[in-house]
Amino acid sequence: MVRKQWKFVSVLLVVMLSSIAILSGCTKSDSGNTNANANSNANTNAAGSNGAGADENAGSADAGSGEKIKLRLTGWGAPDEVAAYKFAIEKFEKAHPNINVEFQAISADYDTKLTTMVAGNDEPDVAMMESATIAYPLAEQGKFVNLQDYLSADTEVTPDALVPNITYSAEPGNVIGIGPGPETFVLYYNEDVFKAAGIEPPPADPAQAWKWDQFVDVAKRLTIDNKGRNATEEGFDPKSIKQFGINLPTWWGVYSNFIYSNGGDFLSADGKTLALNQPEAVEALQKMADLINVYHVAPSPLQSKNIPGTNVALQTKKVAMAFDGQWATASLAQSKFNYNVAPMPVLKQPVTTIVAGMFSIFKSTKHPQESWELLKALIDPDASLDVITAGTWMPSHKDWYTDADKLAKWTQNLPSRPSGYKGAVIDMLLNHSHATPTSYVKNFNKIMDVINPAMDKVWLGKQSAKEALDAVAAKAQEQVQGRRDVK
Amino acid sequence: MGISAVDGQTARARKKGTTSKRERKALFYGLLFTSPAILGFLIYTLGPMVASFYLSLTDYNVFKDQTTFIGFDNYAKLFSGKDELFYQSLGATFYFVVLRVPAVIIISFLLALLLNMNVKGRSMFRTIIYLPSIVPAVASSMIWLWLLNPDLGLVNTVLDWLHLPTSSWLFGEKSVIPSIVLTTLWGIGGTVIIFLAGLSGIPKQYYEAIDVDGGGWYHKLRHITIPMVTPTIFFNTIMTIIGSFQVFSEAYILTQGGPNNKSMFFVFYLWRTAFRDTEMGYASALAWILFVIILIFTFIVFKTSKSWVHYEGDRS
Repeated sequence: MVRKQWKFVSVLLVVMLSSIAILSGCTKSDSGNTNANANSNANTNAAGSNGAGADENAGSADAGSGEKIKLRLTGWGAPDEVAAYKFAIEKFEKAHPNINVEFQAISADYDTKLTTMVAGNDEPDVAMMESATIAYPLAEQGKFVNLQDYLSADTEVTPDALVPNITYSAEPGNVIGIGPGPETFVLYYNEDVFKAAGIEPPPADPAQAWKWDQFVDVAKRLTIDNKGRNATEEGFDPKSIKQFGINLPTWWGVYSNFIYSNGGDFLSADGKTLALNQPEAVEALQKMADLINVYHVAPSPLQSKNIPGTNVALQTKKVAMAFDGQWATASLAQSKFNYNVAPMPVLKQPVTTIVAGMFSIFKSTKHPQESWELLKALIDPDASLDVITAGTWMPSHKDWYTDADKLAKWTQNLPSRPSGYKGAVIDMLLNHSHATPTSYVKNFNKIMDVINPAMDKVWLGKQSAKEALDAVAAKAQEQVQGRRDVK
Repeated sequence: MGISAVDGQTARARKKGTTSKRERKALFYGLLFTSPAILGFLIYTLGPMVASFYLSLTDYNVFKDQTTFIGFDNYAKLFSGKDELFYQSLGATFYFVVLRVPAVIIISFLLALLLNMNVKGRSMFRTIIYLPSIVPAVASSMIWLWLLNPDLGLVNTVLDWLHLPTSSWLFGEKSVIPSIVLTTLWGIGGTVIIFLAGLSGIPKQYYEAIDVDGGGWYHKLRHITIPMVTPTIFFNTIMTIIGSFQVFSEAYILTQGGPNNKSMFFVFYLWRTAFRDTEMGYASALAWILFVIILIFTFIVFKTSKSWVHYEGDRS
């Protein structure tokens, strides 16, 4: 009896196991197939990219034949941004009736999901990418189409037609992504606070932008404790501050502005050595840290956990001024109070770092030409005019800044575009912009893994910038792999 | 098929004295109904485990087309001392386990003792204690983030009001891990329930015997309650050790491994290696090391259990 029972169990187990084997066998051979497809695709593409013309011809022939094509697009964004993409896609589908775009808006864990898609050989055709995370690791494995070929062949979207520092390259001549719009960094302030204190607000013209010391002086006068004393007065109590002079986010995006303004950089010009521990960068970082720990005009990283978003912080006068990105104009415009915008304070020269997401085309796509057309539609300012006028975005095309009519379309009489906007944002972008470090520092994440913990100590006032950075310089140097913008 | 029919069959089968059809049928249905769990385990747990062990012997990177077999190089790199975060994360995780396991066991045991008392509104108290453990980790973490805010948080405000020293909690290098332990203690309701089950399984006459002999509550606790719940303590200890080694969401939501990597827990580091740096091969090696560590600790607890876990009727 026992024996019979065991026989039965073993039969059942065999059935189960073999069904697993069959199931997993299926998926395996399946993924093998896609793998082969992807490889052959990559090969054709590699061959094609030698002569972009040939590729393009094949592409337009496809389009001409009216064959039904499906393109897959992935992206992330706030609801209004997603709406802008959907609008652009609709427009694109109307112009190309044979193309159907399947848009996947992935709101959380985008990189994880895309990584999984890549692992499963299931990449989309076009994808939004982030330069600080997985875009470059993917580019280094040759996963993206070189957009340089398309940029040089295209009649509308050429390198000159785009605003500066909005494309991303893996190395000179290999463009892996184009941003839907640039973002600059600015100094926001509450006009009423300045009026009440009788202080002249910062000039919007970059040529007259505040020098650092002027800025510190004003920040001191606008930092007020619970008893109404400001930071220049006798008896000022830095432990009970009611209104801070400046809100100072301490991530690399913000401090890169001051490092560049001071003539410093993340890496040396040849890309061989770390430059964050060089005097120019150290001085800029120390000056920022002094705002917190010496002058007490900016909240410490602990205190800043209580500071709400830039719009609310300025509106409720928790801070008089705030460093933030251009994108904050959208929420500021909705908050309905008298805010304005000025260039970041200047150490040696006015500079703003440009940050942007990007759209990239995967090499595994079967329709590179159509994907390029889709990418063009996505970065077309006309399609995303709603998000641009709301404040979140800025146009990617240069003529939207230089052509008076087009400029008026997105800057005139809008709450998101206060009077200082032209000087603080547009002039700065066109004439004083610097590429984001994520676009040219190789191995950026791993370098920052070493730098960030050291900088935490600087912001908390436990070490000087020089001590902290010198202490980790050797370890960070181990992660330095060069620059993407030099050969 | 009605019950009587089944009974009829069994009766017939018994009479004949052969392998009963019913038993075979029962076995078939038993396996059929457990097969989702069995298949799920084989396909989604055992399969990936085997795969991850193989991957830990390769340089598998999701974005690279080529994966080469590199033997034990990943493990060699881990133990060579080059990967400082590996040691840092091991240290942080051990610290967390050492703090959390005794805290969870002692506090949930005490709570269970209280909840086992015959007081008015007992079921309400039980519900209140258990409730937090069904709150998702993300939600409770967000609440703790506010409570433990160094400047505005309720905890520091109350401490300040009582003129007690405040702490920077999750934002201090020294206080971050104890703070995380504190936040996880909120969700020990599940452990409490298991203790309660253990407590209610103790026969009343043992306590009566102590009453007859003239012993007090201490004797009851020391000589009846604790020895009788040692199997439960044993089970809860093992489950808590396993759970604590795998701490992830708190680091992910509350601290992102900071400040200064002081709360870089092992699984959080593993996740970062796998999904941010996409080094899946290396991350698989990390996973297997954690598996072995948990295995060793569970084994140790099992080995020592003979000397302190008492089963009823077991005289050794």
